[in-house]
Amino acid sequence: MTFEIEIGETVRTVTVQRKGPVLQVTVDGRAQIVDARRVGDATLSLLLAPGGDAAARSVDVSVVAGRTSGGYDVHVGGRTIPVQVRVAGAYRHQRTVVSAIGSGPQRVVAPMPGKIVRVLVTPGEVVTARQGLVVVEAMKMENELRAARDGQVRAVSVVEGQLVEAGAVLVVIE
Amino acid sequence: MKKILIANRGEIAVRVIRACRDLGIATVAVYSECDRTALHVRMADEAWPVGPSAPRDSYLRIDTIVDVARRSGADAVHPGYGFLAENAAFATSCRDAGVIFIGPSPEAITLMGSKTAARRVAIKAGVPVVPGTEEPLDERTSDAHVRAVAERIGYPLMLKAVSGGGGKGMRMVSTAADLPGALRAARSEAQSAFGDGAVYLERLILTPRHVEVQLLGDHHGTVLPFVERECSIQRRHQKVVEESPSLAVSPELRRQMTSAAAAVARMAGYTNAGTIEFLLGGDGSFYFLEMNTRLQVEHPITEMVTGVDLVQWQIRIARGEPLTLDAEAILSPHAHAIECRIYAEDPEHGFLPSPGRILGLRVPSGPGVRDDGGADEGDDVPIFYDPLISKLITWGDDRPQAIARMKRALAEYEVRGIRTTIPFFRWLLDDEDFRAARIDTTFIDRKLGTPEGAPMQAITPDHEWLAAMAAAVHQFSSAVPASTASARTASRWTDAGRAEAVRS
Repeated sequence: MTFEIEIGETVRTVTVQRKGPVLQVTVDGRAQIVDARRVGDATLSLLLAPGGDAAARSVDVSVVAGRTSGGYDVHVGGRTIPVQVRVAGAYRHQRTVVSAIGSGPQRVVAPMPGKIVRVLVTPGEVVTARQGLVVVEAMKMENELRAARDGQVRAVSVVEGQLVEAGAVLVVIE
Repeated sequence: MKKILIANRGEIAVRVIRACRDLGIATVAVYSECDRTALHVRMADEAWPVGPSAPRDSYLRIDTIVDVARRSGADAVHPGYGFLAENAAFATSCRDAGVIFIGPSPEAITLMGSKTAARRVAIKAGVPVVPGTEEPLDERTSDAHVRAVAERIGYPLMLKAVSGGGGKGMRMVSTAADLPGALRAARSEAQSAFGDGAVYLERLILTPRHVEVQLLGDHHGTVLPFVERECSIQRRHQKVVEESPSLAVSPELRRQMTSAAAAVARMAGYTNAGTIEFLLGGDGSFYFLEMNTRLQVEHPITEMVTGVDLVQWQIRIARGEPLTLDAEAILSPHAHAIECRIYAEDPEHGFLPSPGRILGLRVPSGPGVRDDGGADEGDDVPIFYDPLISKLITWGDDRPQAIARMKRALAEYEVRGIRTTIPFFRWLLDDEDFRAARIDTTFIDRKLGTPEGAPMQAITPDHEWLAAMAAAVHQFSSAVPASTASARTASRWTDAGRAEAVRS
């Protein structure tokens, strides 16, 4: 089975084939014999055998589903690496969607559920990059959300004292 | 004393339950709506609901909690830290209800809880204080008056909430121009966190260390100080790493500081556990900062280097036992201990809160390792409370061994589903200045200022190669085909990360 795996900007082609009790995993043409065992729902114990050698590198990894289809957090070596997994060929469509973000109106969303303690801008106001827009309180700390770039405030959808869910649009800037 | 109600949640409630178990005392947990399945509820012998999730509707409800204490037949209440721990009205209500409050008297809480009154006590005890205002500046004080007071003390200065603590309601002010904004922010934070917007001003001692002395006082006139804790590693004035002993404190200085701390406590008529905080200058001069009239978050490091169970002693003191500890022994540290506070915050994105469900948890163990946790696999880290999920403590023959064990323990520690400050500590422990103990209270902000944008833990091509392989193997071996695999719960760090990316 062949997958396209996106990490950051890079897409790797990974093929997994069963070879008796073990797997052969080929990443961008580089083949590796892997003895993979599941431990619980999320954890995999991988023994990477270099060329059938008895000496094996032991790697403990956890693969946790992310918020999008095919999105995972891979925990390895103390790092948490977000990855996107696609069955080969199904990838291109997704890419165009991703690259569309970054232009158009800037929607400032609540990064976590919390309470709006201050609204620092009004509709029509001209703002500069990194200017504070809204202060959200969560877990007893106040966090100031700022503008990503220069623009004009088109809408402010919250008022002070309001409780918001994660992902709620607070301010729109164009 | 047969039964104790723990008026708290999270790791400290779990810690107190453990002490009660060790003493054969039954435990009563209280919980808010979102904490129904929290670890402290599941560990306690009894659990009683006290209201909705917001703290003011549950864990801060004096009437409800005292009522539960009475109805459950608890002999005593342990407040933990935070919430009602330093609330004199709560201590009074317990007393009035005939329930023992495990802590100091309401009078001592009131006296030492007011930062300005506490300063006067320290001065009376002959202990130096940082120059600053003697009287609180409440909401009625005009900005102009505050500015005039600030001019007199001189910039840079610290603006602090009179009822504050834990870094909340606290701002550094470098120039007169920054004062109005800082004053507004500090007052609003203090008002919402402590219900008191009064502030005071203090001259800023440049690059000081934060060194504190743990005390126990019994009801028979004995006050005993312990070997100091070094808490200079702070972010936004909130301690993140503590250790004991401090490398900056010689035996002679230890004698001076611990005697000064005991003098302040005696002057206040203090009983039970408390901590005197000092600022320590580079020249060995030290100043009384404040007293915390409760158990501290970082109490385990003192337990590790002295072998004393402080929570057990809190309970024993409350039931009238005299302190029988060896005063010399508890001033002589046995080796070295370090604590890292594991918060549900994303250190790679400006320490944004990262609430959500803990999907997987592997807690380290082994020689010299202690984990004081309050959350379990499957638990939600709620948005309503302090994001501390665990305290990782290591002990070693000396500081390098304690650090080595901490590195080993942090490498074993795995929390899946939410972001935590674990990568930050892995990064910090490799810092040369930290390893050489060249630290002061500005250390973290200085260090975090330098590697702008660089991740705390670099992801190498090897990590990516392994991740790609693991993801493919996982997908290959999953019964569920890729196309239908979970468009599951909003993992909030993704949102947070995206928000941060948009912002910066």
